[in-house]
Amino acid sequence: MLLSPAPTSGRRRAVIVLVLVALALGAGWRAGADERRFTVAFANLTEEPGVTLEGTGFTGREVRESFALAARRLPVDLALYDNRRDPRTALDNATDAIRRHVDLYVEYFHDAATNDEVARLMREARLRVLAVNYPVGDAPLYTADNAAAGRLAGEALGDFAARAWQGRPVVALIVGPVGARQDRIPERVQGIGEGLRRRHPGIRIVPLDTQGNPAVVGALLGKAVAAQPTSKLLIAALDDSTALAAKGALEAAGRSADGAIVALGCDRSIHGGASDRKEIDPSNRGSIVLGSVAFYLDRYGYDLLPLALRMLRGEPVPARTTTAHKLVTAANVFMEYPPYDLQ
Amino acid sequence: MKPASILAAAVLLLMSASAALAQTDCTKLVPPSPWGPNDQTGATNRVTAAVTKAAAGEIQEGKVVPMSYPLVDGVPLFGTRFTKTILTATSLAPGASFGENELTYMEDTWLSQSHVGTHLDGMGHIGRKDCYYNQIAMGKFINQNAMTKLGLEHLKSFATRGVLIDAVKVFQAAGKFKANPACKKPCLEKGTVITGADLQAGLRMYNVTLREGDIVIIHTGWGDLFEQFPAQNATYNSGEPGISKDAAKWLVDQKVVAVGSDTWAVEVIPGEDPKEAFIVHNILITDNGIHIIENVRTDLIAAEAARTNRATFFFNMTVPRAVGMTGNFVGIDGIR
Repeated sequence: MLLSPAPTSGRRRAVIVLVLVALALGAGWRAGADERRFTVAFANLTEEPGVTLEGTGFTGREVRESFALAARRLPVDLALYDNRRDPRTALDNATDAIRRHVDLYVEYFHDAATNDEVARLMREARLRVLAVNYPVGDAPLYTADNAAAGRLAGEALGDFAARAWQGRPVVALIVGPVGARQDRIPERVQGIGEGLRRRHPGIRIVPLDTQGNPAVVGALLGKAVAAQPTSKLLIAALDDSTALAAKGALEAAGRSADGAIVALGCDRSIHGGASDRKEIDPSNRGSIVLGSVAFYLDRYGYDLLPLALRMLRGEPVPARTTTAHKLVTAANVFMEYPPYDLQ
Repeated sequence: MKPASILAAAVLLLMSASAALAQTDCTKLVPPSPWGPNDQTGATNRVTAAVTKAAAGEIQEGKVVPMSYPLVDGVPLFGTRFTKTILTATSLAPGASFGENELTYMEDTWLSQSHVGTHLDGMGHIGRKDCYYNQIAMGKFINQNAMTKLGLEHLKSFATRGVLIDAVKVFQAAGKFKANPACKKPCLEKGTVITGADLQAGLRMYNVTLREGDIVIIHTGWGDLFEQFPAQNATYNSGEPGISKDAAKWLVDQKVVAVGSDTWAVEVIPGEDPKEAFIVHNILITDNGIHIIENVRTDLIAAEAARTNRATFFFNMTVPRAVGMTGNFVGIDGIR
């Protein structure tokens, strides 16, 4: 029988050190297996019922829900705030998040001065910030790209005219709150113009300002259409409800065959599930509403929380990340928004 | 036609033919069945005589627990789906009875979509493009009325052991329970993700280990909204708690026959990835031949399990041998 020699005190110390190192490594390995959870605060622009955001039909509730849904599969606990479009509330929310020692603050607020103050508070508290649609100090910014979205809409209309109405007189109409300065509507309008001119450099573009009231679309468009009895009409609607109103106006004027419409926003009023039978639907491919450029406010959480996690893990993130806008049509709507109203 | 044109036409034809072939190359989209290239049965292949015999051991008291909801007009349905029964009772009219014994009779005409109420999803219900279970290019096997492959007539018995997983209890025990206010009894909120770890926690609660050939039934409490029909139909259909992709994959590894729940899709809705559609259906049915059973009444068997601290039972379900059909309503009893 072999007996191990009794360890000397030096050997004993070495054995103890080895055991401690092994235990530490084991603990580290286990810590890696149990992924660290982070608390991310999201301060929403406003969750007032019925109030829509960014010149689209999306509401603050949809934005908030996207965070809750996205967080389900991430090591993230959420602290949710409503800034109520109010500077005082926005500052109170930021202060509360600091008090709660959240790991990162996602700020969605429209007022530059307030955002500067939020940036200062967060800097002092050494809290990381991610800004949504409006800059907050030098924090990474996630934002809609209204110019790019506008170009997509304009190009879609221009391509349609080149394909379907070659050699025919064509007039473009931009319908919606075209005179508005907020929600980066001017960028959207400019993008539409650029997109239209890509195919039709000399095209005449007529703005029809609804001042945000879809109820006046019928009268405005009716008049414009009557003034263009022989022209084909490319209609860029700045939001989905305006697009649907424009379609109704063309039908009322008996000019459906002369029009093509592209919207911006792509909220649920224009697309739906398998049972909804909304305007953009695979079974409605002949619609004069060719599509809507998606702004995906209902997916903000899915885009923003992974960015937040990268920041929290010390990984680099771009200074500016933009929404991947896409033209949603009858051909791809169920890919972009898979319906779940069937079983 | 000039030879060059003929050649060009031939090349075009060849290209379009190969494009069509590429679309129907189901070997790239769906895995083969473990039961061979001709298999149209799926996971009920696992219900062998030995499995049924072992499951019979679950019948200890002779107690029968109903696990299906009444099939009646007004239960939650989507869109244009409908059920309608029409009673034929003409022989009750004076003078319409038969013979000296004055026999009378009544019959029904039952007009219904097949995926209604407590129902089974068959192998032909869910695919990936036109590729269905066992790499079957379904476009070649359908006609105006039915499928000519993967119909319910190919299924074997479901006489096996049922195992209840009480997800409500799991979430309550873990301190993460969040209910929908419309539920009168405890229910998980829609969108609640039930993971593989949650399923395993549920099994540990009742000291059960899954075995090949089991049918797993998950109690979420969401069925409470079904029971309130028609008042809560819209809420019931608006989403549901359900299993995640990782939970589905874990169940696949356990070689179960079917997964059922008191929800309309078994899987979590809205899904984990907003750009995926009913992905758990693909994982279970299309890729692995495992049935899904929807709108299962689970509250009674869950209560029974809690009362007796036993979550297993003999799963008694008969599926009509409906030729060429993608699914059908079923009646289920849990026998203990």
